[in-house]
Amino acid sequence: MVAEYPKILLAHQGLPDSRSLKTYLSQGGYEAAKKAISMGPAQIIDEVKASGLRGRGGAGFSTGMKWSFVPKDLPGARYLICNNDESEPGTFKDRQICTVSPHMILEGMIIAGYAIGAAKGYIYTRWEFQKEIQYLETAIKEAYEAGLLGKNILNSSFSFDLDHYMGAGAYICGEETGLISSLEGKKGQPKLKPPFPAVSGYLGRPTIVNNTETLAVVPWIINHGGKEYRKYGTEKSPGTKLFSISGALNRPGVYEVPLGYPLMKLINDECGGMQPGRTIKAVIPGGASAPLLTPSEIQDATLDYECMAQKGTMLGSGAIMVIDDRQSMADLLRITIDFFAHESCGQCTPCREGTGWLANIMMGISEKTAKTEDVNRLGLVAKHMGGKTICALSDACAMPVMSYVQKFGDELRDYLKQGAVH
Amino acid sequence: MSPETNQQAIKPVPLKPAEPVVKETVTFTINDKEITVPKGTTVMAAAKQNDVYIPHFCWHPGLSVAGVCRFCMVKVEGRPKLEIGCNLTATPGMKVSTLTPEVKEAHKWALEFHLINHPLDCPICDQAGECKLQDYYMEVGQYKSQMERPKVLKPKAIDVGDDLVLDTERCILCDRCVRFEAEVTKTAALGIFNRGDRAVIGTYPGKKISHQYQTNIVDICPVGAFTSKDFRFKQRVWFLKHKPTICPGCSTGCHVDVYGKPDTRTYYRVKPRESDVNQFWMCDTGRKTYKHLNQENRLRGAITSGASRKRATLAEAYQVLAEKIKSASVQDLALLVAPQYTCEEYQKFFEFFVDKLKITKVFEWREPTEDRKAFDGILYRGDKNPNSLGLRQSLEKRGLVKPGQEIPGFNDVAASGATCVIALAPEILFQYPSLASQMALLEELSFVSLWTVSADLVASKKIKHALPMKGFAEKTGTFLNFEGKVGQLQEAFPSAVEDARDISETVTSLGEVLMGLS
Amino acid sequence: MGVIKVGLPPKDNNLFQLAQGYFSTITTGMIKTGAIFWKQISGKEKTNTLEWPEEPATYGDRFKGKHFLTRREDGQIRCTACFLCATACPAECIHIVAGQHPTNEVEKFPVRFEIDILRCVFCGFCEEACPVDAIRLGPEYVMAGLAGEKWVYTKDYLADRSQLQGGITSVKDENVKHFTVDTKIDPEDLLATDAPHMRGHS
Repeated sequence: MVAEYPKILLAHQGLPDSRSLKTYLSQGGYEAAKKAISMGPAQIIDEVKASGLRGRGGAGFSTGMKWSFVPKDLPGARYLICNNDESEPGTFKDRQICTVSPHMILEGMIIAGYAIGAAKGYIYTRWEFQKEIQYLETAIKEAYEAGLLGKNILNSSFSFDLDHYMGAGAYICGEETGLISSLEGKKGQPKLKPPFPAVSGYLGRPTIVNNTETLAVVPWIINHGGKEYRKYGTEKSPGTKLFSISGALNRPGVYEVPLGYPLMKLINDECGGMQPGRTIKAVIPGGASAPLLTPSEIQDATLDYECMAQKGTMLGSGAIMVIDDRQSMADLLRITIDFFAHESCGQCTPCREGTGWLANIMMGISEKTAKTEDVNRLGLVAKHMGGKTICALSDACAMPVMSYVQKFGDELRDYLKQGAVH
Repeated sequence: MSPETNQQAIKPVPLKPAEPVVKETVTFTINDKEITVPKGTTVMAAAKQNDVYIPHFCWHPGLSVAGVCRFCMVKVEGRPKLEIGCNLTATPGMKVSTLTPEVKEAHKWALEFHLINHPLDCPICDQAGECKLQDYYMEVGQYKSQMERPKVLKPKAIDVGDDLVLDTERCILCDRCVRFEAEVTKTAALGIFNRGDRAVIGTYPGKKISHQYQTNIVDICPVGAFTSKDFRFKQRVWFLKHKPTICPGCSTGCHVDVYGKPDTRTYYRVKPRESDVNQFWMCDTGRKTYKHLNQENRLRGAITSGASRKRATLAEAYQVLAEKIKSASVQDLALLVAPQYTCEEYQKFFEFFVDKLKITKVFEWREPTEDRKAFDGILYRGDKNPNSLGLRQSLEKRGLVKPGQEIPGFNDVAASGATCVIALAPEILFQYPSLASQMALLEELSFVSLWTVSADLVASKKIKHALPMKGFAEKTGTFLNFEGKVGQLQEAFPSAVEDARDISETVTSLGEVLMGLS
Repeated sequence: MGVIKVGLPPKDNNLFQLAQGYFSTITTGMIKTGAIFWKQISGKEKTNTLEWPEEPATYGDRFKGKHFLTRREDGQIRCTACFLCATACPAECIHIVAGQHPTNEVEKFPVRFEIDILRCVFCGFCEEACPVDAIRLGPEYVMAGLAGEKWVYTKDYLADRSQLQGGITSVKDENVKHFTVDTKIDPEDLLATDAPHMRGHS
């Protein structure tokens, strides 16, 4: 159980008063920011590209690539937004970073802001994170007082202002354009792409939206270099990642492991295996929107984007939910569908009507008034919802539904017939 | 989209964003048909220009792209997913298909999603017959619905404006009305509230839509969610026929279609027709211009005597007028003309009265209170007459008015000493609020021959001679709008009034009678 | 084309023989007729003809005779003034004027509903076209009358004439309406949801 890999994101976990600027500075904090400002934007982007860092929000898009999409010679404001909305059910990794070392996020934002030429950054935190909001507010205040934010930071010509914004807890505001709409003061609903936010985002200006975890890892990459980062993880998914594991395990929680780590090892070693008397029935590897895996599928599964894609699911935000044999799949599916039906912004027809329709059918199944063919109908409706909307919420609902119907269809039908809870 | 925006304060906006001056073109194919369009054109716009059919709800050429109905799915060769045509910019060599089985399946399911919570109350919905949901069901749908669960219910028949009734259950949330309010009138009174399948269109609390472009929302609504109070329940659209004509409401001269029922010769509504004058819109004032055409408001026959109000035949009326003209000297005769008739009619009228009978006293019948320079920034102009320019050109041609000089107005008639006045009365009476006082002045003259469409003007019995005219929808001709653009009127159906004639016909018949006298 | 073989006429040209044959047949026939006549007039045998109009005749329910308008269970006219009957009518004899019903629940109703019975061809298309079972053709067939009578049946007559004995009620499931129907809508209500699967949320 002794880790033979470094802690990058949770390095300061366990240090006394780890949130404070003093502790952070004592651990070599803000050295990366100084180094970055001396490097220049193009070199920072090259370094991040070299590290192979992929967006940790769920899509896994190359971060360095994303930054390089910002038009270089366009005059006027650019914005950097830290997506700290963490709304995917089952995910609780970003709040851990906020709790352990909020300054890591701020430093990452200063570097990213300098790299893309943004003079203004926003942290968009979900309103439910009341404690984390306090931690971040304190950190921002400390940084301003220490001259790490504001005008001419670290005695350079670079000025960077940071604002903290609280969302109202909508799932869709975790989607980057939905977040931008919300930040603009509009109803939080995704915007049509193209144009992409890197070209026209917040207030119609080039905007980069990065996940908290992505930004928090940037200082380490600048300090140690992209090549060092590539030593961990796999060829295509380098680095370490936070995984939030929940379920009937002995030690559920947030774990930092390199990508490509075997799933079973994580469950059995780090998490101490299943609670006595429980066996694994299914595993959701990437939050509620990821299709689930059966016990036979997880045996050789590794935690990286490629392996998960190959198994027909996704790593997403790294929210691993272990479902044990006492859970009813019908109840789980109902809760999942109800969540998406409630959170659909109502903009695109397939998602607005589709999620509602699924919830409607699922209600019939729960009430046991539905027919057995309604189980297949769930899959049929979900199939036609997918890939047809502005954002991915429709897919996020459709994909798990299809996997439930495909892998646990018989259980759903039995549930309907006998009302038996497996 | 600030709710604080004052609804009344409609600020001037260009109707269309200025066309970028791009000479570059893009050539691509839709269904193997080669299409060349200016660079930056979307596939949807290109398809529309080239008569390729892509079904859609939320896209409207006069509004921004929302891309929410997800109905205009097309297949682009080499791309894994289907894409929406409305937000897909054409690139050179792109191969677009709207006919693959994948696209057809997508259309079918998109329609199913639109219809699962639709109440299907077509029997009482005014949109039935011109409803996109109905059309598309026949064109791309024709499936057996999978929906067997109870539908989501939403509020119905909500009063949201002076002319608008909203049924949120029929609404497919295409967002067109919201964009119209935000982009065209800039009043932003409408919004989408709530989320998911509970989302409803509505007005912001305490707000009502009260500007005079609101009925356009009914036109752009692809389903029956917005219905017009004026047209609501009056007639089913499949009984109506329409003909293109020009709105006579003001000098903008919007291109419109008038809708009527041919067998009863009753008109029911006016709708805008796409053109470079009015783009896609028209004002609500213009929409009222059909009402005077219906029989109950019309002067149904000629009048030759004030007291008895006996209906005279046209021949009798021509006889009386011809005798009067013959007995009067040129100095006694005057022409009072409202700028609401066609150029062809003016030509014939002045050819006879000015060129032939040498009458020189010509006056323009206008509303004295109108501010001719006024403009609301969208379409509606202060000059409430559709053919001011046509009348001026006719008079300038004959040297009766010099360019730039004001045409003598209504108040100059009495001062001119004329005793026998031939008056072409205005047709759109509600644009003449001072009409009552003007009529009182006319009635003091010893003889007035009033040529009018409407019965209202001869109600006082002091008018001793009147001839029934045809309305704007019943004749063919041209109007010149404020900037000299030609608008073509077409006869919709034969006049609702048998004795009604246009001015050209009246002048010809009158001329024949006058010839017979000498 | 088939060929029908007909027996040849008797070759005998004897006039007397012909006359005998004629009279004998006539007499047989008359005896038969007379016997039935007397049997029936004395009541020994039932007649097959009807003594109309003294004795009323009835047709089956499916007979397409005079129209009537049905009512809802609450007594209101079921017709929603959708004009589909008027559209389907080949004789163009149905005239409807629609209006806004005082209660939103009904929304649209016929202010006037008239059938010009002189033009009607009793095809029954109106009955077929009606989406709400509002118009039916009933078993009444007596429609003859004098010149002074009203040949245009009004809404009241179609729904309420004495022959209908207080009106015909059509029992049919009504559409479920949103709770805000028939009330002044409060903007707050618009935000409230009644989607059943959503109760419990928000």
